[in-house]
Amino acid sequence: MSSTEQGTSSAAPAEPTTAPESAAAPEVPESFYYVHGKDKVVHKVSAGALQHSALIHGMISNLGYTEEQAKANPFPFENIDGDILQMVVDWCNQHKGKPTPPEDTNLPKQKEKLFDLVLAVNYLEIKELLTYCCKQVAMMVKGKSPEEIREIWMIPTDAEDEAAEKEAKKRAGKEAAGETAAAAGDAK
Amino acid sequence: MPFPILRTPVVVLSEIISILEPNETVTASFCSKNFKRLLKNQYQQMKPLMWAICMIDFENDRRVIIVKSGIEANVLSAVHISKFNESTSKVVEINGYKIEFSPEYPILYFEDQELGSKWIVDYVTDLLNIDVRGLAIGRSSAWTVDWINKRQEKPLNRFALFKPTSNNSNADESMDYVLKNVRSSDFIGINEDVSDNYRFNGKLGPVKELAISRNGYWVTCDNLMNFDAIAIYIGRSRLTVSILNLFLRHWRAGGSPRLEYLEVFFENGTVFENTFDGDLEIVRTNEVGTYPVSYGEPVVIRNCYRVQRTDGIMALVDCDRQRFYMIVQHEKASH
Repeated sequence: MSSTEQGTSSAAPAEPTTAPESAAAPEVPESFYYVHGKDKVVHKVSAGALQHSALIHGMISNLGYTEEQAKANPFPFENIDGDILQMVVDWCNQHKGKPTPPEDTNLPKQKEKLFDLVLAVNYLEIKELLTYCCKQVAMMVKGKSPEEIREIWMIPTDAEDEAAEKEAKKRAGKEAAGETAAAAGDAK
Repeated sequence: MPFPILRTPVVVLSEIISILEPNETVTASFCSKNFKRLLKNQYQQMKPLMWAICMIDFENDRRVIIVKSGIEANVLSAVHISKFNESTSKVVEINGYKIEFSPEYPILYFEDQELGSKWIVDYVTDLLNIDVRGLAIGRSSAWTVDWINKRQEKPLNRFALFKPTSNNSNADESMDYVLKNVRSSDFIGINEDVSDNYRFNGKLGPVKELAISRNGYWVTCDNLMNFDAIAIYIGRSRLTVSILNLFLRHWRAGGSPRLEYLEVFFENGTVFENTFDGDLEIVRTNEVGTYPVSYGEPVVIRNCYRVQRTDGIMALVDCDRQRFYMIVQHEKASH
Protein backbone atom coordinates (compact mmCIF):
# COMPACT_ATOMS: atom_id res chain seq x y z
CA MET A 1 0.00 0.00 0.00
CA SER A 2 1.37 3.38 -0.93
CA SER A 3 1.82 6.08 1.67
CA THR A 4 -0.93 8.16 0.07
CA GLU A 5 -3.38 5.28 0.33
CA GLN A 6 -2.40 4.71 3.93
CA GLY A 7 -2.93 8.37 4.65
CA THR A 8 -6.26 8.38 2.95
CA SER A 9 -7.55 5.28 4.65
CA SER A 10 -6.50 6.44 8.10
CA ALA A 11 -8.12 9.82 7.60
CA ALA A 12 -11.34 8.47 6.16
CA PRO A 13 -14.19 7.59 8.48
CA ALA A 14 -14.29 3.96 9.50
CA GLU A 15 -16.51 1.59 7.54
CA PRO A 16 -19.81 1.07 9.33
CA THR A 17 -19.63 -2.18 11.23
CA THR A 18 -23.19 -2.21 12.44
CA ALA A 19 -25.91 -3.98 10.52
CA PRO A 20 -28.49 -1.94 8.61
CA GLU A 21 -30.86 -0.03 10.85
CA SER A 22 -33.85 -2.24 10.12
CA ALA A 23 -32.04 -5.31 11.37
CA ALA A 24 -30.39 -3.59 14.35
CA ALA A 25 -33.50 -2.03 15.83
CA PRO A 26 -37.01 -3.09 14.96
CA GLU A 27 -38.92 -0.19 13.45
CA VAL A 28 -41.30 1.34 15.97
CA PRO A 29 -44.80 1.40 14.50
CA GLU A 30 -45.98 4.92 13.89
CA SER A 31 -48.59 6.07 16.34
CA PHE A 32 -51.68 7.97 15.24
CA TYR A 33 -53.95 10.43 16.92
CA TYR A 34 -57.34 11.76 16.00
CA VAL A 35 -58.55 15.34 15.83
CA HIS A 36 -61.79 16.98 14.87
CA GLY A 37 -63.00 20.50 14.31
CA LYS A 38 -66.35 22.26 14.55
CA ASP A 39 -67.89 19.85 11.99
CA LYS A 40 -66.98 16.78 14.13
CA VAL A 41 -65.30 15.11 11.15
CA VAL A 42 -62.45 13.11 12.64
CA HIS A 43 -59.00 13.21 11.00
CA LYS A 44 -56.42 10.53 11.64
CA VAL A 45 -52.95 12.11 11.88
CA SER A 46 -49.59 10.56 12.65
CA ALA A 47 -47.65 11.74 15.67
CA GLY A 48 -44.86 12.72 13.28
CA ALA A 49 -47.12 15.10 11.37
CA LEU A 50 -48.57 16.51 14.58
CA GLN A 51 -45.10 17.47 15.77
CA HIS A 52 -45.51 20.65 13.74
CA SER A 53 -48.11 21.82 16.24
CA ALA A 54 -46.47 22.80 19.52
CA LEU A 55 -49.89 22.73 21.18
CA ILE A 56 -50.82 19.18 20.11
CA HIS A 57 -47.27 17.91 20.52
CA GLY A 58 -47.35 19.13 24.12
CA MET A 59 -50.70 17.40 24.66
CA ILE A 60 -49.70 14.01 23.27
CA SER A 61 -46.09 13.80 24.36
CA ASN A 62 -46.82 12.01 27.63
CA LEU A 63 -50.14 10.36 26.86
CA GLY A 64 -48.93 6.94 25.73
CA TYR A 65 -52.31 6.14 24.18
CA THR A 66 -52.92 2.84 22.47
CA GLU A 67 -54.47 2.99 19.01
CA GLU A 68 -57.87 2.21 20.51
CA GLN A 69 -57.57 4.85 23.21
CA ALA A 70 -56.50 7.45 20.68
CA LYS A 71 -59.43 6.57 18.42
CA ALA A 72 -61.84 6.80 21.31
CA ASN A 73 -60.49 10.17 22.44
CA PRO A 74 -60.12 12.49 19.45
CA PHE A 75 -58.84 15.96 20.28
CA PRO A 76 -61.68 18.40 19.85
CA PHE A 77 -60.94 21.79 18.30
CA GLU A 78 -64.39 23.26 18.39
CA ASN A 79 -63.10 26.71 17.52
CA ILE A 80 -61.70 25.56 14.15
CA ASP A 81 -63.88 25.03 11.08
CA GLY A 82 -63.71 21.54 9.61
CA ASP A 83 -62.33 22.64 6.24
CA ILE A 84 -59.64 24.75 7.92
CA LEU A 85 -58.59 21.85 10.13
CA GLN A 86 -58.44 19.70 6.99
CA MET A 87 -56.05 22.22 5.42
CA VAL A 88 -53.87 22.22 8.52
CA VAL A 89 -53.81 18.42 8.71
CA ASP A 90 -52.92 18.21 5.00
CA TRP A 91 -50.07 20.68 5.46
CA CYS A 92 -48.74 18.78 8.50
CA ASN A 93 -48.87 15.51 6.53
CA GLN A 94 -47.10 17.05 3.53
CA HIS A 95 -44.32 18.37 5.75
CA LYS A 96 -44.01 15.39 8.05
CA GLY A 97 -40.39 14.83 9.00
CA LYS A 98 -39.17 17.25 6.34
CA PRO A 99 -37.29 20.47 6.85
CA THR A 100 -39.63 23.30 5.92
CA PRO A 101 -38.49 25.21 2.83
CA PRO A 102 -38.14 29.01 2.98
CA GLU A 103 -41.03 29.42 0.53
CA ASP A 104 -44.01 27.11 0.66
CA THR A 105 -45.98 26.39 -2.49
CA ASN A 106 -48.31 23.96 -0.71
CA LEU A 107 -50.14 26.72 1.13
CA PRO A 108 -53.89 26.76 0.68
CA LYS A 109 -54.69 29.12 -2.17
CA GLN A 110 -58.15 30.25 -1.09
CA LYS A 111 -57.59 33.78 0.14
CA GLU A 112 -61.03 33.91 1.74
CA LYS A 113 -59.92 31.17 4.12
CA LEU A 114 -56.64 32.85 5.03
CA PHE A 115 -57.96 34.70 8.05
CA ASP A 116 -59.50 31.58 9.61
CA LEU A 117 -56.41 29.61 8.71
CA VAL A 118 -54.16 32.17 10.43
CA LEU A 119 -56.27 32.03 13.59
CA ALA A 120 -56.24 28.23 13.61
CA VAL A 121 -52.53 27.97 12.94
CA ASN A 122 -51.80 30.51 15.64
CA TYR A 123 -53.99 28.60 18.09
CA LEU A 124 -52.36 25.28 17.22
CA GLU A 125 -48.91 26.92 17.45
CA ILE A 126 -47.61 25.74 14.07
CA LYS A 127 -44.80 28.22 13.78
CA GLU A 128 -43.60 27.54 10.23
CA LEU A 129 -47.08 27.53 8.77
CA LEU A 130 -47.89 30.73 10.63
CA THR A 131 -44.82 32.39 9.12
CA TYR A 132 -45.89 31.30 5.61
CA CYS A 133 -49.42 32.59 6.19
CA CYS A 134 -48.11 35.90 7.51
CA LYS A 135 -45.86 36.22 4.46
CA GLN A 136 -48.92 35.73 2.28
CA VAL A 137 -50.78 38.42 4.20
CA ALA A 138 -47.82 40.80 3.86
CA MET A 139 -47.61 40.05 0.12
CA MET A 140 -51.22 41.20 -0.32
CA VAL A 141 -50.18 44.85 0.02
CA LYS A 142 -47.04 44.82 -2.12
CA GLY A 143 -47.02 47.87 -4.39
CA LYS A 144 -50.39 49.09 -3.10
CA SER A 145 -51.41 52.60 -2.07
CA PRO A 146 -52.69 53.34 1.45
CA GLU A 147 -56.23 53.46 0.07
CA GLU A 148 -55.84 49.98 -1.41
CA ILE A 149 -54.13 48.70 1.75
CA ARG A 150 -57.05 50.00 3.80
CA GLU A 151 -59.44 48.00 1.64
CA ILE A 152 -57.35 44.84 1.61
CA TRP A 153 -56.62 44.83 5.33
CA MET A 154 -59.98 46.36 6.33
CA ILE A 155 -58.38 49.30 8.14
CA PRO A 156 -60.88 52.01 9.06
CA THR A 157 -60.23 55.57 7.87
CA ASP A 158 -59.56 58.34 10.39
CA ALA A 159 -63.16 59.49 10.03
CA GLU A 160 -64.45 55.98 10.69
CA ASP A 161 -62.15 55.65 13.71
CA GLU A 162 -63.37 58.98 15.07
CA ALA A 163 -67.00 58.01 14.56
CA ALA A 164 -66.42 54.65 16.28
CA GLU A 165 -64.69 56.39 19.16
CA LYS A 166 -67.58 58.86 19.55
CA GLU A 167 -70.04 56.00 19.47
CA ALA A 168 -68.05 54.07 22.08
CA LYS A 169 -67.91 57.14 24.34
CA LYS A 170 -71.64 57.68 23.92
CA ARG A 171 -72.33 54.06 24.79
CA ALA A 172 -69.98 54.18 27.78
CA GLY A 173 -71.72 57.37 28.96
CA LYS A 174 -75.13 55.76 28.66
CA GLU A 175 -73.96 52.67 30.49
CA ALA A 176 -72.44 54.75 33.28
CA ALA A 177 -75.68 56.78 33.55
CA GLY A 178 -77.67 53.55 33.65
CA GLU A 179 -75.46 52.16 36.39
CA THR A 180 -75.78 55.38 38.42
CA ALA A 181 -79.56 55.30 38.07
CA ALA A 182 -79.66 51.64 39.07
CA ALA A 183 -77.44 52.34 42.08
CA ALA A 184 -79.71 55.26 43.10
CA GLY A 185 -82.73 52.97 42.76
CA ASP A 186 -81.04 50.35 44.91
CA ALA A 187 -80.26 52.95 47.56
CA LYS A 188 -83.92 54.01 47.72
CA MET B 1 -60.76 39.03 -0.57
CA PRO B 2 -59.97 41.34 2.35
CA PHE B 3 -58.04 40.25 5.37
CA PRO B 4 -59.11 41.95 8.63
CA ILE B 5 -55.63 42.48 9.98
CA LEU B 6 -56.79 44.37 13.06
CA ARG B 7 -58.76 41.35 14.22
CA THR B 8 -55.71 39.08 14.32
CA PRO B 9 -53.99 38.24 17.63
CA VAL B 10 -51.09 40.49 18.60
CA VAL B 11 -48.50 37.78 17.86
CA VAL B 12 -49.80 37.41 14.33
CA LEU B 13 -50.01 41.14 13.77
CA SER B 14 -46.41 41.57 14.94
CA GLU B 15 -45.27 38.78 12.64
CA ILE B 16 -47.00 40.34 9.62
CA ILE B 17 -45.57 43.77 10.39
CA SER B 18 -42.08 42.35 10.83
CA ILE B 19 -42.29 40.83 7.33
CA LEU B 20 -43.20 44.12 5.63
CA GLU B 21 -40.47 45.74 3.57
CA PRO B 22 -39.40 49.23 4.72
CA ASN B 23 -41.24 51.03 1.88
CA GLU B 24 -44.38 49.00 2.53
CA THR B 25 -44.25 49.92 6.22
CA VAL B 26 -43.99 53.62 5.44
CA THR B 27 -46.76 53.48 2.84
CA ALA B 28 -49.02 51.50 5.20
CA SER B 29 -48.48 54.10 7.91
CA PHE B 30 -50.48 56.56 5.80
CA CYS B 31 -53.60 54.34 6.04
CA SER B 32 -54.85 56.03 9.20
CA LYS B 33 -53.60 57.73 12.35
CA ASN B 34 -54.51 54.67 14.39
CA PHE B 35 -52.71 52.29 12.08
CA LYS B 36 -49.64 54.52 12.12
CA ARG B 37 -49.75 54.48 15.92
CA LEU B 38 -49.99 50.71 15.85
CA LEU B 39 -46.97 50.38 13.53
CA LYS B 40 -45.04 52.84 15.66
CA ASN B 41 -45.76 50.84 18.82
CA GLN B 42 -44.63 47.69 17.09
CA TYR B 43 -41.35 49.24 16.05
CA GLN B 44 -40.81 50.65 19.51
CA GLN B 45 -40.96 47.10 20.85
CA MET B 46 -38.94 45.40 18.12
CA LYS B 47 -36.47 48.01 17.00
CA PRO B 48 -35.49 47.11 13.43
CA LEU B 49 -31.82 47.27 14.26
CA MET B 50 -30.78 45.90 10.91
CA TRP B 51 -32.45 48.79 9.14
CA ALA B 52 -30.39 51.89 8.50
CA ILE B 53 -32.11 55.14 7.62
CA CYS B 54 -30.24 57.35 5.18
CA MET B 55 -31.10 60.87 4.16
CA ILE B 56 -30.32 62.05 0.65
CA ASP B 57 -30.43 65.79 0.08
CA PHE B 58 -28.76 66.58 -3.19
CA GLU B 59 -30.19 69.41 -5.27
CA ASN B 60 -33.71 68.29 -6.25
CA ASP B 61 -33.22 64.77 -5.01
CA ARG B 62 -34.58 64.62 -1.46
CA ARG B 63 -35.30 61.13 -0.25
CA VAL B 64 -35.21 58.87 2.73
CA ILE B 65 -33.86 55.44 1.97
CA ILE B 66 -33.58 52.42 4.21
CA VAL B 67 -30.75 49.96 3.86
CA LYS B 68 -31.78 46.47 4.90
CA SER B 69 -29.33 43.57 4.57
CA GLY B 70 -27.24 45.67 2.18
CA ILE B 71 -30.19 46.46 -0.10
CA GLU B 72 -31.30 50.06 -0.45
CA ALA B 73 -34.95 50.98 -0.80
CA ASN B 74 -36.53 54.40 -1.20
CA VAL B 75 -39.25 54.87 1.37
CA LEU B 76 -40.26 58.53 1.15
CA SER B 77 -39.43 61.46 -1.07
CA ALA B 78 -39.95 65.23 -0.93
CA VAL B 79 -40.43 67.08 -4.20
CA HIS B 80 -40.96 70.77 -4.86
CA ILE B 81 -44.58 71.66 -5.47
CA SER B 82 -43.64 73.10 -8.88
CA LYS B 83 -43.09 69.52 -10.10
CA PHE B 84 -46.62 68.58 -9.19
CA ASN B 85 -48.66 67.80 -12.26
CA GLU B 86 -52.33 67.90 -11.49
CA SER B 87 -53.32 66.07 -14.65
CA THR B 88 -51.03 63.07 -14.16
CA SER B 89 -50.42 62.89 -10.42
CA LYS B 90 -53.05 61.24 -8.28
CA VAL B 91 -52.64 62.81 -4.87
CA VAL B 92 -54.34 62.82 -1.53
CA GLU B 93 -54.02 65.51 1.12
CA ILE B 94 -52.80 64.46 4.53
CA ASN B 95 -52.19 67.08 7.22
CA GLY B 96 -52.36 69.74 4.52
CA TYR B 97 -49.65 68.14 2.37
CA LYS B 98 -50.17 66.74 -1.08
CA ILE B 99 -48.99 63.16 -1.20
CA GLU B 100 -48.70 60.98 -4.27
CA PHE B 101 -48.51 57.23 -3.79
CA SER B 102 -46.46 55.46 -6.41
CA PRO B 103 -46.17 51.65 -6.25
CA GLU B 104 -42.66 52.08 -4.83
CA TYR B 105 -42.85 54.89 -2.28
CA PRO B 106 -44.85 58.00 -1.39
CA ILE B 107 -43.87 61.42 -2.74
CA LEU B 108 -44.69 64.52 -0.70
CA TYR B 109 -44.97 67.90 -2.42
CA PHE B 110 -43.56 70.91 -0.58
CA GLU B 111 -43.22 74.61 -1.15
CA ASP B 112 -40.26 74.91 1.23
CA GLN B 113 -37.67 72.31 0.23
CA GLU B 114 -35.80 72.39 3.54
CA LEU B 115 -39.04 71.87 5.42
CA GLY B 116 -39.85 69.00 3.06
CA SER B 117 -36.50 67.32 3.73
CA LYS B 118 -36.91 67.67 7.47
CA TRP B 119 -40.51 66.46 7.35
CA ILE B 120 -39.75 63.19 5.56
CA VAL B 121 -36.79 62.37 7.81
CA ASP B 122 -38.73 63.18 10.97
CA TYR B 123 -41.63 61.07 9.74
CA VAL B 124 -39.58 57.93 9.08
CA THR B 125 -37.37 58.18 12.17
CA ASP B 126 -40.42 58.74 14.35
CA LEU B 127 -42.29 55.83 12.79
CA LEU B 128 -39.45 53.33 13.07
CA ASN B 129 -37.89 54.74 16.22
CA ILE B 130 -34.36 54.68 14.81
CA ASP B 131 -31.76 57.36 14.11
CA VAL B 132 -30.42 58.51 10.79
CA ARG B 133 -27.30 56.48 9.98
CA GLY B 134 -26.35 57.80 6.57
CA LEU B 135 -26.32 61.25 5.00
CA ALA B 136 -25.53 62.10 1.39
CA ILE B 137 -25.74 65.76 0.49
CA GLY B 138 -24.85 68.43 -2.01
CA ARG B 139 -23.30 71.82 -1.43
CA SER B 140 -26.56 73.61 -0.71
CA SER B 141 -27.57 71.11 1.96
CA ALA B 142 -24.74 71.74 4.42
CA TRP B 143 -27.39 72.69 7.00
CA THR B 144 -28.33 69.00 7.29
CA VAL B 145 -25.04 68.23 9.08
CA ASP B 146 -25.82 70.47 12.02
CA TRP B 147 -29.49 69.49 11.94
CA ILE B 148 -28.60 65.79 12.26
CA ASN B 149 -26.08 66.54 15.03
CA LYS B 150 -28.76 68.34 17.02
CA ARG B 151 -31.55 65.81 16.53
CA GLN B 152 -29.68 62.68 17.61
CA GLU B 153 -26.95 61.71 20.04
CA LYS B 154 -25.42 58.96 17.95
CA PRO B 155 -23.16 60.06 15.11
CA LEU B 156 -23.84 59.05 11.54
CA ASN B 157 -22.30 55.86 10.18
CA ARG B 158 -21.72 57.14 6.70
CA PHE B 159 -21.51 60.61 5.22
CA ALA B 160 -20.92 61.81 1.69
CA LEU B 161 -20.64 65.29 0.20
CA PHE B 162 -21.07 65.47 -3.59
CA LYS B 163 -20.12 68.27 -5.90
CA PRO B 164 -23.06 69.99 -7.54
CA THR B 165 -24.02 69.66 -11.17
CA SER B 166 -23.72 73.45 -11.63
CA ASN B 167 -20.84 75.21 -9.99
CA ASN B 168 -22.58 78.46 -9.11
CA SER B 169 -22.44 78.64 -5.34
CA ASN B 170 -19.71 79.02 -2.76
CA ALA B 171 -18.07 75.64 -2.35
CA ASP B 172 -15.38 76.78 0.13
CA GLU B 173 -17.85 78.00 2.70
CA SER B 174 -20.09 74.95 2.68
CA MET B 175 -17.11 72.58 2.55
CA ASP B 176 -15.57 74.25 5.58
CA TYR B 177 -18.84 74.04 7.47
CA VAL B 178 -19.27 70.38 6.62
CA LEU B 179 -15.70 69.35 7.48
CA LYS B 180 -15.81 71.19 10.80
CA ASN B 181 -19.17 69.77 11.89
CA VAL B 182 -19.64 66.35 10.42
CA ARG B 183 -19.60 63.37 12.79
CA SER B 184 -19.55 59.99 11.11
CA SER B 185 -18.14 56.82 12.60
CA ASP B 186 -17.54 54.58 9.57
CA PHE B 187 -17.13 56.63 6.44
CA ILE B 188 -16.66 60.19 5.29
CA GLY B 189 -16.57 60.73 1.55
CA ILE B 190 -15.79 64.15 0.13
CA ASN B 191 -16.04 65.04 -3.53
CA GLU B 192 -16.26 68.79 -3.84
CA ASP B 193 -14.71 71.37 -6.18
CA VAL B 194 -13.28 73.92 -3.78
CA SER B 195 -11.16 76.85 -4.94
CA ASP B 196 -7.40 76.53 -5.27
CA ASN B 197 -7.04 78.88 -2.30
CA TYR B 198 -9.19 76.80 -0.01
CA ARG B 199 -7.45 75.61 3.16
CA PHE B 200 -8.97 73.57 5.93
CA ASN B 201 -7.49 74.18 9.35
CA GLY B 202 -9.59 71.97 11.55
CA LYS B 203 -9.60 68.33 12.56
CA LEU B 204 -11.56 65.58 10.85
CA GLY B 205 -12.57 62.34 12.50
CA PRO B 206 -12.44 60.02 14.27
CA VAL B 207 -13.72 57.90 11.41
CA LYS B 208 -12.83 54.49 10.05
CA GLU B 209 -12.50 55.52 6.43
CA LEU B 210 -11.93 58.90 4.86
CA ALA B 211 -12.16 59.17 1.09
CA ILE B 212 -11.47 62.51 -0.53
CA SER B 213 -12.15 60.92 -3.83
CA ARG B 214 -11.59 63.06 -6.89
CA ASN B 215 -10.68 66.49 -5.67
CA GLY B 216 -8.12 66.17 -2.93
CA TYR B 217 -5.87 68.97 -4.22
CA TRP B 218 -6.68 71.09 -1.16
CA VAL B 219 -5.29 68.55 1.32
CA THR B 220 -2.10 69.80 2.97
CA CYS B 221 0.48 67.99 5.06
CA ASP B 222 -1.08 69.49 8.19
CA ASN B 223 -4.48 68.17 7.13
CA LEU B 224 -3.04 64.71 6.57
CA MET B 225 -1.46 64.76 10.02
CA ASN B 226 -4.72 65.89 11.62
CA PHE B 227 -7.05 63.43 9.93
CA ASP B 228 -8.06 60.86 12.54
CA ALA B 229 -8.92 57.89 10.34
CA ILE B 230 -8.00 54.23 9.94
CA ALA B 231 -7.98 54.29 6.14
CA ILE B 232 -7.41 57.42 4.08
CA TYR B 233 -7.73 57.80 0.33
CA ILE B 234 -6.88 61.09 -1.35
CA GLY B 235 -7.49 61.56 -5.05
CA ARG B 236 -6.01 64.32 -7.29
CA SER B 237 -3.56 65.26 -4.59
CA ARG B 238 -0.92 67.98 -4.89
CA LEU B 239 1.17 66.49 -2.11
CA THR B 240 4.77 65.90 -3.11
CA VAL B 241 7.22 63.23 -2.03
CA SER B 242 8.99 65.72 0.21
CA ILE B 243 5.66 66.44 1.95
CA LEU B 244 5.05 62.74 2.32
CA ASN B 245 8.50 62.49 3.91
CA LEU B 246 7.29 65.02 6.49
CA PHE B 247 4.21 62.90 7.07
CA LEU B 248 6.30 59.76 7.52
CA ARG B 249 8.48 61.60 10.05
CA HIS B 250 5.31 62.59 11.96
CA TRP B 251 4.06 58.98 11.81
CA ARG B 252 7.39 57.56 13.02
CA ALA B 253 7.21 59.85 16.03
CA GLY B 254 3.81 58.43 16.99
CA GLY B 255 1.50 60.66 14.95
CA SER B 256 -1.67 59.32 13.29
CA PRO B 257 -1.55 56.26 15.57
CA ARG B 258 -4.77 54.68 14.27
CA LEU B 259 -3.77 54.84 10.63
CA GLU B 260 -3.74 51.48 8.83
CA TYR B 261 -3.88 52.51 5.21
CA LEU B 262 -3.02 55.60 3.20
CA GLU B 263 -3.38 55.95 -0.54
CA VAL B 264 -2.57 59.18 -2.33
CA PHE B 265 -3.26 59.59 -6.03
CA PHE B 266 -1.16 62.44 -7.47
CA GLU B 267 -2.88 65.01 -9.62
CA ASN B 268 -0.13 65.46 -12.14
CA GLY B 269 2.19 62.59 -11.40
CA THR B 270 5.18 63.18 -9.19
CA VAL B 271 8.88 62.74 -9.79
CA PHE B 272 9.98 59.96 -7.55
CA GLU B 273 13.73 59.96 -7.95
CA ASN B 274 15.16 61.11 -4.66
CA THR B 275 13.28 58.42 -2.80
CA PHE B 276 12.79 58.96 0.91
CA ASP B 277 14.84 61.04 3.31
CA GLY B 278 17.71 59.20 4.92
CA ASP B 279 16.67 59.91 8.52
CA LEU B 280 13.47 57.91 7.98
CA GLU B 281 15.61 54.74 7.83
CA ILE B 282 13.47 53.34 5.06
CA VAL B 283 14.74 50.08 3.60
CA ARG B 284 13.81 48.09 0.54
CA THR B 285 11.97 44.86 1.25
CA ASN B 286 10.54 41.95 -0.70
CA GLU B 287 7.61 41.72 1.71
CA VAL B 288 4.11 41.91 0.28
CA GLY B 289 1.58 44.29 1.80
CA THR B 290 -2.17 43.74 1.45
CA TYR B 291 -5.04 45.93 2.55
CA PRO B 292 -8.75 45.14 2.10
CA VAL B 293 -10.03 48.49 0.82
CA SER B 294 -13.78 49.07 0.90
CA TYR B 295 -14.05 50.25 -2.71
CA GLY B 296 -12.75 47.19 -4.55
CA GLU B 297 -10.27 44.34 -4.59
CA PRO B 298 -7.66 44.33 -1.82
CA VAL B 299 -4.67 46.54 -2.60
CA VAL B 300 -1.42 44.57 -2.86
CA ILE B 301 2.01 46.20 -2.86
CA ARG B 302 5.21 44.34 -3.72
CA ASN B 303 8.89 45.28 -3.99
CA CYS B 304 8.23 48.13 -1.67
CA TYR B 305 9.90 49.83 1.30
CA ARG B 306 9.69 49.25 5.01
CA VAL B 307 9.62 52.02 7.59
CA GLN B 308 9.54 51.56 11.34
CA ARG B 309 7.93 53.66 14.02
CA THR B 310 9.88 54.43 17.18
CA ASP B 311 7.60 52.05 19.11
CA GLY B 312 8.46 49.19 16.75
CA ILE B 313 5.35 49.17 14.56
CA MET B 314 6.23 48.81 10.92
CA ALA B 315 4.66 49.95 7.70
CA LEU B 316 5.19 49.10 4.07
CA VAL B 317 5.26 52.03 1.68
CA ASP B 318 5.38 52.21 -2.06
CA CYS B 319 5.40 55.10 -4.45
CA ASP B 320 5.36 55.54 -8.20
CA ARG B 321 4.60 58.50 -10.45
CA GLN B 322 0.89 58.13 -9.84
CA ARG B 323 0.36 56.80 -6.35
CA PHE B 324 1.73 56.58 -2.85
CA TYR B 325 0.69 53.66 -0.65
CA MET B 326 1.26 53.03 3.01
CA ILE B 327 0.09 49.90 4.82
CA VAL B 328 0.71 49.86 8.56
CA GLN B 329 1.36 46.44 10.02
CA HIS B 330 -0.32 46.82 13.42
CA GLU B 331 -1.02 43.09 13.59
CA LYS B 332 2.69 42.22 13.28
CA ALA B 333 3.49 44.33 16.30
CA SER B 334 0.89 42.60 18.43
CA HIS B 335 2.07 39.06 17.53
